[in-house]
Amino acid sequence: MIEVKNVTKKYGKTVAVEDISFSINDGEIIGLLGPNGAGKSTTMNILTGYIEQTSGEVTIEGYNTLKKPKKAKQQIGYMPEGVPLYTDLTVKEFVTYMAELKHVDRKARKDKVQKVIEQTGLKEVQNKLTRNLSRGYKQRVSMAGALVGEPKILILDEPTVGLDPKQITEIRNLIKELGKTHTIILSSHILSEVSQICNKVIIINKGKIVAIDTPENLENRVNKNNCLYVTVEDTENKIANIKDKIKEIKNIELVQENEDGTKQYLIEADKNVDLRKKVFSEFAKENITIFEMKKADTTLEDAFMKLIEGGNK
Amino acid sequence: MWAIVKKEFKSYFLSPVGYVFIGLFLVMFSIFFYTDVFYYQSTNFEYIFYSGATILTFITPILTMRTMAEERKSGTEQLLLTSPISITKIVLGKFISATLIVVITELCTFMYFGILSFFGAPHLTTALVTLLGFLLLAMSYISFGLLASSITENQIVAGVITIGFFILTWFLPNFSDVFTDFSLINLFTNFPSGQIDIADTVTFVTFTIMCILLTVIVMQRRKSVR
Repeated sequence: MIEVKNVTKKYGKTVAVEDISFSINDGEIIGLLGPNGAGKSTTMNILTGYIEQTSGEVTIEGYNTLKKPKKAKQQIGYMPEGVPLYTDLTVKEFVTYMAELKHVDRKARKDKVQKVIEQTGLKEVQNKLTRNLSRGYKQRVSMAGALVGEPKILILDEPTVGLDPKQITEIRNLIKELGKTHTIILSSHILSEVSQICNKVIIINKGKIVAIDTPENLENRVNKNNCLYVTVEDTENKIANIKDKIKEIKNIELVQENEDGTKQYLIEADKNVDLRKKVFSEFAKENITIFEMKKADTTLEDAFMKLIEGGNK
Repeated sequence: MWAIVKKEFKSYFLSPVGYVFIGLFLVMFSIFFYTDVFYYQSTNFEYIFYSGATILTFITPILTMRTMAEERKSGTEQLLLTSPISITKIVLGKFISATLIVVITELCTFMYFGILSFFGAPHLTTALVTLLGFLLLAMSYISFGLLASSITENQIVAGVITIGFFILTWFLPNFSDVFTDFSLINLFTNFPSGQIDIADTVTFVTFTIMCILLTVIVMQRRKSVR
């Protein structure tokens, strides 16, 4: 359980994070979303105790981060942005050092380190120096460092940045797997990632929380009108007639003209009407050839853009 | 805290830093052993340490300049500061491991005592008192080096600040007698005569504690302004 109450962080006169409050229950996977410089890392740094807030309160599993920093930090495994590692240590030495820093009992240390190394798939490289590893492996080592000591909460700052697609899927699967036993907070600016992994999203913009909700609810919240994208070959510009023929169409808008002479239109209609059948038959009657037709879905991306723009106005 | 001492100590020998420090010190120490003692057929082991203190003044930054600055630059500071260990323990851990390197160096210098014993009878107590004084001097140097390293993320800047400060305090007494006791290296000069000067000892220890405390404060302070 993490509770953040009215936390503000100021640097001189600039406000990095302003009056944010939220709470995270056990077992949730939370995505912290926002454009660059929105305050994601600042928020995470405050949670982990790396920096101190100017005002407000943070409690981790009931421990106030300012009054009981040791206890609070003990609950958290943190993977910082840019995966800083001690490059003169081997993977095993690094994870062992992290275990020592987290006061893992001396007797159990060896086993726990091995367990984490296996869990993160680092067994073959455990005796290599961390500086000689590829980016993907470095990410895993950092993850192993966060995992060791069995923290209840994992805080991952941009866990998939700089990885190739295969590595991204691997790390995502690892996070999903870990989510079964941990509370996870991850920051990202990749929306598809968040909607795939997380069951709750916190959107931050300009240091303020814009929305806290499930990815699905956020998508519904900014439901666009019923829209259809069609790409057509229409040399005689007959599309103007279409609007009269199908009453449900509210608006037809030219999106772009392609080099091959086709045009893409956005057709807007009333809600709850599926135009596709009618469009297909009417277009055929008018001798307009349809090259492509697709329904415009609202995605988290749209929700995100809309919420962020709302904040900027 | 011991985890940090262990790791830092190991790091000194995983990188060339530890070898460079000990090696450089011993090479120069050997030269002074020849010119100051052996050449005059003297058995005053402690005499070499006047020059030893000068060497130390110039090479302490090798040990200290990267301690805090490097962690900050590479971001590993985040790992340290978010682990359940207090800043005081982090600073102390680094201080102790650097001090251990000096202790090892001192143990190495003891071979010259052996060589002198072969030719005559050097005074053991005086030698030990000198080594104690040298250690105290090294501790205050290291603590200042840590402080310098904590205020910048550039190792070179940290090193230059450290040497600059040492040289400044070294020559301060030349300007006015008021500054006599401000010179760390001057405080050491009584030890090779075989007497433990309480005032000097207390000054060294206080200076060391002060620098360590300041380092802790600098690190703590950065939490709220970072």
